[in-house]
Amino acid sequence: MMKKNEQNEPLLSVRDLTIHYITDDGVVRAVNGISFDLNHGETMGLVGETGAGKTTAALGLMQLVPDPPGKIVSGSVKFAGKELIGLGKLRMRLFRGKEMSMIFQDPMTALNPVITVGEQVAEVIRIHNKVSVKEAVKQAAEMLETVGISSERMGDYPHQFSGGMKQRVVIAIALACNPHLIIADEPTTALDVTIQAQVLELMNRLQEKYNTAMLLITHDLGVVAEICDKVAIMYAGQIVESGSLEDIYEDTRHPYTKGLFGSLPRLSSKLHRLSPIYGLMPDPTDLPKGCSFAPRCPNRCKACEERMPENHEVSPGHFVRCVLYDADRQ
Amino acid sequence: MLQYVIKRILVTIPVLIGVTFIIFTMMYFTPGDPARLILGDTATEEEVTELREEMGLNDPFLKRYVNYLKDLSRGDLGESYTTGLPVTDEIKARLPVTFRLAVLSCLFAIIIGIPVGIISAVRQYSWLDNITMLAALMGITIPSFWLALMLVLVFSVRLGLLPASGLYGPIYYVMPVISISAVSVATITRMTRSSMLEVIRQDYIRTARAKGQTEIKIIFKHALKNALIPIITVIGIQFASGLSGAVVNEQVFALPGIGKMMVDAIKARNYPVVQGGVLVIAIMFSVLNLVIDLAYAFVDPRIKTQYSRKKEKKGSETVRSEG
Amino acid sequence: MEQKKKKHSQLREIWRRLKKNRLAVFGLCVLILLVFLAVFADVIAPYGYDEQNYAETLQFPSWKHWMGTDNFGRDILSRVIYGTRISLQIGFISLTGGALVGCILGAVAGFFGGAVDTVIMRFTDILMSIPRTVLAIAIATTLGPGLTNAMIAVAISSVPNFARVVRASTLTVKDQEFVEAARSIGASNARIIFRYIFPNVMAPIIVQATLGVGTAIILAASLSFLGLGIQPPTPEWGAMLSAARTYMRDYWYMVTFPGLAIMLTVLALNLFGDGLRDALDPKLKK
Repeated sequence: MMKKNEQNEPLLSVRDLTIHYITDDGVVRAVNGISFDLNHGETMGLVGETGAGKTTAALGLMQLVPDPPGKIVSGSVKFAGKELIGLGKLRMRLFRGKEMSMIFQDPMTALNPVITVGEQVAEVIRIHNKVSVKEAVKQAAEMLETVGISSERMGDYPHQFSGGMKQRVVIAIALACNPHLIIADEPTTALDVTIQAQVLELMNRLQEKYNTAMLLITHDLGVVAEICDKVAIMYAGQIVESGSLEDIYEDTRHPYTKGLFGSLPRLSSKLHRLSPIYGLMPDPTDLPKGCSFAPRCPNRCKACEERMPENHEVSPGHFVRCVLYDADRQ
Repeated sequence: MLQYVIKRILVTIPVLIGVTFIIFTMMYFTPGDPARLILGDTATEEEVTELREEMGLNDPFLKRYVNYLKDLSRGDLGESYTTGLPVTDEIKARLPVTFRLAVLSCLFAIIIGIPVGIISAVRQYSWLDNITMLAALMGITIPSFWLALMLVLVFSVRLGLLPASGLYGPIYYVMPVISISAVSVATITRMTRSSMLEVIRQDYIRTARAKGQTEIKIIFKHALKNALIPIITVIGIQFASGLSGAVVNEQVFALPGIGKMMVDAIKARNYPVVQGGVLVIAIMFSVLNLVIDLAYAFVDPRIKTQYSRKKEKKGSETVRSEG
Repeated sequence: MEQKKKKHSQLREIWRRLKKNRLAVFGLCVLILLVFLAVFADVIAPYGYDEQNYAETLQFPSWKHWMGTDNFGRDILSRVIYGTRISLQIGFISLTGGALVGCILGAVAGFFGGAVDTVIMRFTDILMSIPRTVLAIAIATTLGPGLTNAMIAVAISSVPNFARVVRASTLTVKDQEFVEAARSIGASNARIIFRYIFPNVMAPIIVQATLGVGTAIILAASLSFLGLGIQPPTPEWGAMLSAARTYMRDYWYMVTFPGLAIMLTVLALNLFGDGLRDALDPKLKK
């Protein structure tokens, strides 16, 4: 249905998205002006530590940030050329689950414990497609089979499934209406390692099968290397570096990204010690004036603490937000 | 499921036998010689002794209890000291009134409490919520019999709108039900609100939103069913409070129920009637608790599956090769 | 020494949280006022509680008698003030008694488990299958009317609740390491229960108790209202309402003020109890 837009316009175009949580203890600046594009069928990894604002950003795209206390302060989210910010609850509802859907971090809590899984999958079909109950149930059964769950188990409740199986149900819900975009928020973090691989493999295959774009939120650089085309590194609510998979892995520029790779144990390397990033992420209610990474950065200089570094395009499509690449410094 | 029902019924039986024991013991130790009470002050000592023997009052405690149980199993609750009629008949005549009062109060509390609690939760911290919470606080602090008196004062004495006492039609139930259920309405409202607030924050509600579900359906389909689980427990307690309230308020409105029967009987030292009344109320409450527990299993599938092993076996998770 | 200090700062933290809750502070202030009235009733009350004045029977509220007078010409305000003494006494004493017995039963059941647990819990099940007011009525019938008996009836009917709460808490505390540690150094069971388990299940007990005092007061008033509790001329609020009923058609004030007094007392206890619960367990609050 969206074929006409497919030529050159990106599927998802995010500009300066800023999301704050307004609490009694101050304003939590969770997401501070992130921008990126995602094309049809593309997979982008959004990488960062816990608390970097990844989940908030994802909820922001779906406009599911809990309000109060969350507020989308500014920015634009264009989906297939259509602005979503300020769209209004009713219109936004038509996008969720139909055009873009979300896979959540914890499958244990993401499913309603008192509704059968079949009903939970059929529900999303019934919401968006004008089909009979019977037809919706039939489609839900097919969808469950697709994610590897026998349709005999449609009448079972979530507590009768294991974590990995629950995540398959969540994936079935997300894919049931054939969305153009899937936002997967750490879909495997809560699962056992062996199950993680299965679930990732499943998601990857289904994504290719339906040509769905995916925004994969994770802190696992290994997973990113396996399935992503593009990568954005997030730190304290900002994207500090973004580019193609090669750009980030082969031509790492930002000190934080370097630090992330330095924290990974590698068998190939002869080094015996990891090089961790020292310190902690700054308090999001009290971000530093300059670069938020400056306090932990091995390359920091005076300029870092004084002003927010600009976003530099170091090579086509490879952006770095760091003072090191300021023109006047070179 | 059937297994669960049977198990739950089997648990209720010893509890009820325990109740009979406690009630019997309490009445056993109640001062006053039943034989003397029946015959009155004018009877001679010999007559009293004779009656004591006849009634088995000289038997040891346990023997008397066993006899009591035997009578009970035949539906015989003894005879009223004052009228000499079987207590069972008296209770049969009175029971519907008390039962109706308790059930109506409970229903009234559910019908008002759950919707108001939902609205309060959905509009948390709005003026509507604040007023509701204030009213609910009042509701749980007002003694029901005093509320009854105040209602009579306003609606019967001042305005002359509602009858102050007696039971000659549906309108006579209005004030008793309101005053008995005030506590329950307040409790259910508070419980529904806090339960809904708890549920609304859960991840699966976010999942429902992410599906594009409408807010109305999120509340009624996804949230309410989960929120109901703790509310059901409270409803069970409210039925008890309804029975208690009925017992006290029957006195205020002069309603011919078990409560008024008991209080009158206590004053007349007509103990078999008291004993029967307490027992009947305990049975009603136990049966309701049974129903509540079964309702639980109905709403919460986690309980249901605990008791259906068959399904569990079938559920050995087969990961199929997809595609 | 160190431990004492820690305990002190814990109390201060609870107090700090409690102070932030305006409703709870209001409840506490009203409670303090009521306790004050109860203690100094002889000084504060303008008339004696049983001071009959046949020249001034059934007087509507006036400057002389703020809440009017009853059919014996007794000043209702004075009786309500004296009633504070009785109701608070009933509330606190019966609840303390019930709580004590309930806590011990609950702790023993939870601590020892097995047959002891089964017996105690079945017993509470049985008591709980009789609605509380009806249970209290039955006990009051056996014991006969009077202040002490009413208190006993109310106390017994509050035992099962405490036993349940404490048993549940004991079960969670029992297997924690500090209890194991105490056992490993040879502490006796009684010592473990009183020294280690009770302090750690205190919070739910305190909350249950504060809210329970209000219930106890209403329950005792109901008993007296039915004529099964405190008997006239003792100025108990429930008994006053019972006596005033005959006159309510013409003298509204007689049934109004004692009831308001009950409501205010219970309201204060509830506000304070709710606040205390939130202050003791910040997790419960969002």
